[in-house]
Amino acid sequence: MKLLTHNMLTSHVKGVTKGYPLLIKATAVKVNEVEFNPQFVSRMIPKLEWGVLVQAADWLGQREDLPAELVSDYEKNDDFLKKVHRVLLEVEVIEGCLQCPESGREFPISKGIPNMLLNEDEV
Amino acid sequence: MMEEAASQLERDHVHSVYDKIAPYFNDSRYKAWPKVRQFLLDLQPGSIVADIGCGNGKYLHINKEVFKLGCDVCRPLVDFAWSQGHEVQMCDGLHLPYRDGCFDAVLSIAVIHHLSTKERRIRAIKEMARTLRVGGRIMIYVWAMEQKHRKFEKQDIFVPWNPNPSGFNRERAKPRRRATAQSVSEAIDNSEKHRKVRSTSSVADEEDLTRAVPQQRTQRLWFFSRSLDSVFDFGSLAISRSSSRDLSTLSSPTSDNEGNKPRGRGRGLIKQVSSFFSPPSVIGSEEDVFGSVTDLHKTQTHSGSNSATTNKNGTEEQSMSVSLAQECSSLALPDLVSLQREHLKQSGDESEGGPQGQDQQESTQSSQGSEGQVEGSCLRYYHVFREGELAELIENHVEELHVKHAYFDHANWCVVAEKVQLWKI
Repeated sequence: MKLLTHNMLTSHVKGVTKGYPLLIKATAVKVNEVEFNPQFVSRMIPKLEWGVLVQAADWLGQREDLPAELVSDYEKNDDFLKKVHRVLLEVEVIEGCLQCPESGREFPISKGIPNMLLNEDEV
Repeated sequence: MMEEAASQLERDHVHSVYDKIAPYFNDSRYKAWPKVRQFLLDLQPGSIVADIGCGNGKYLHINKEVFKLGCDVCRPLVDFAWSQGHEVQMCDGLHLPYRDGCFDAVLSIAVIHHLSTKERRIRAIKEMARTLRVGGRIMIYVWAMEQKHRKFEKQDIFVPWNPNPSGFNRERAKPRRRATAQSVSEAIDNSEKHRKVRSTSSVADEEDLTRAVPQQRTQRLWFFSRSLDSVFDFGSLAISRSSSRDLSTLSSPTSDNEGNKPRGRGRGLIKQVSSFFSPPSVIGSEEDVFGSVTDLHKTQTHSGSNSATTNKNGTEEQSMSVSLAQECSSLALPDLVSLQREHLKQSGDESEGGPQGQDQQESTQSSQGSEGQVEGSCLRYYHVFREGELAELIENHVEELHVKHAYFDHANWCVVAEKVQLWKI
């Protein structure tokens, strides 16, 4: 699971009203090189919950010097875009789980794939 | 109660079937449909797209300028998609784990027709619309009832999965190996080493699996129909879940079992089975039928008369089921696009009886009298859509979507719709 995906995932357990963001508990994290496309990254940024991305990177020990606030004029700032590129697309959780902030329900991540299926009593 | 039965039906006749047949999707013969491909190519660079019910991820490699993620309930299929370097999750289409409005586009190809009530089909579309941003677009494909080369008598049907379409099994071994080579080379492009290993071993596993299967087996497959929407009859649900012995009576319209209650119910379905293939239509579709058209014709004519008359002879019964099996193999399934040209080119260059799959092995076992429900579990449930039904479903029940295009493509009804802002008073 990439952190870009984490940025969109939410808990959907019945009755939960604030299931976002999911807490990441990772036991295996990989950083894979992905081709850098500055335009792609700068178009992606406005679609993100920036604070959640920074927090997720922090949980995984991958934040480095990513700022808590989104910088202005990032479109021309390749250094910044590279950092965002890395946490969005290169850092991947391979094993671990995602935890619902409200219900505490844990969704396992195994072999890179989050299992978000709910049990019958949770829908 | 209804809801429970519907979800049970989908577990038995959609989810568990895909779990079994997943290995057959893991090769290169499943091609992206051009219009779906174009929909993805037309998206703005930097778009975020979700393929809900992505299967093995055949649409996830299209357009490098957009971020794609896929999800499916079937673990083996998402595993395969992941091994190809795609970003995937496991989830259920009625409960998507994504925040509101986060996608620029959503794909739903050959998914909604697996939901067994209208209410659930609406809910699935609403759920996808929820994750779409205002102005974002959704493309939905569902299998059509109106098809040139086959007629469905009912909208709610069970379609047997046949991993060995005639004309296909012969060259089965070859594309498989090609697939191996291909996935390895793709994985090498992908700089990630562990994925390379995974994709290679997943193909190797399939080959082990296919090697272990006996060459000869009885092939008995059925079509029958039932609607959860119109008449909710719990008894008929029992039939779909009954033992293989009960199911096997369906292939013999005259077996004298009137006194027996479950079989009596079975007889109701027999009519649908025998009339399912309304007058042997001309088979030979340009886009979607597997290779051996002539074989199909022969068996069809041969047994077509038998099926209508009294049939107590085991051989005749067998020939009818063979004819059904042949017919089944010619069906273009909504998620299966044959590489017809390749099949024609290659057919005949290997002898009969290539490697066969797990579900067929089990089908042999159950036809030998085991009490398992294996054969039943290889029937996939579909709700085939009538012309206009999909667009109406959206227009009448999903007010946040506005239908932009509705068309027919590859035996599917298709809609492209846009999410609109709803002003609440």
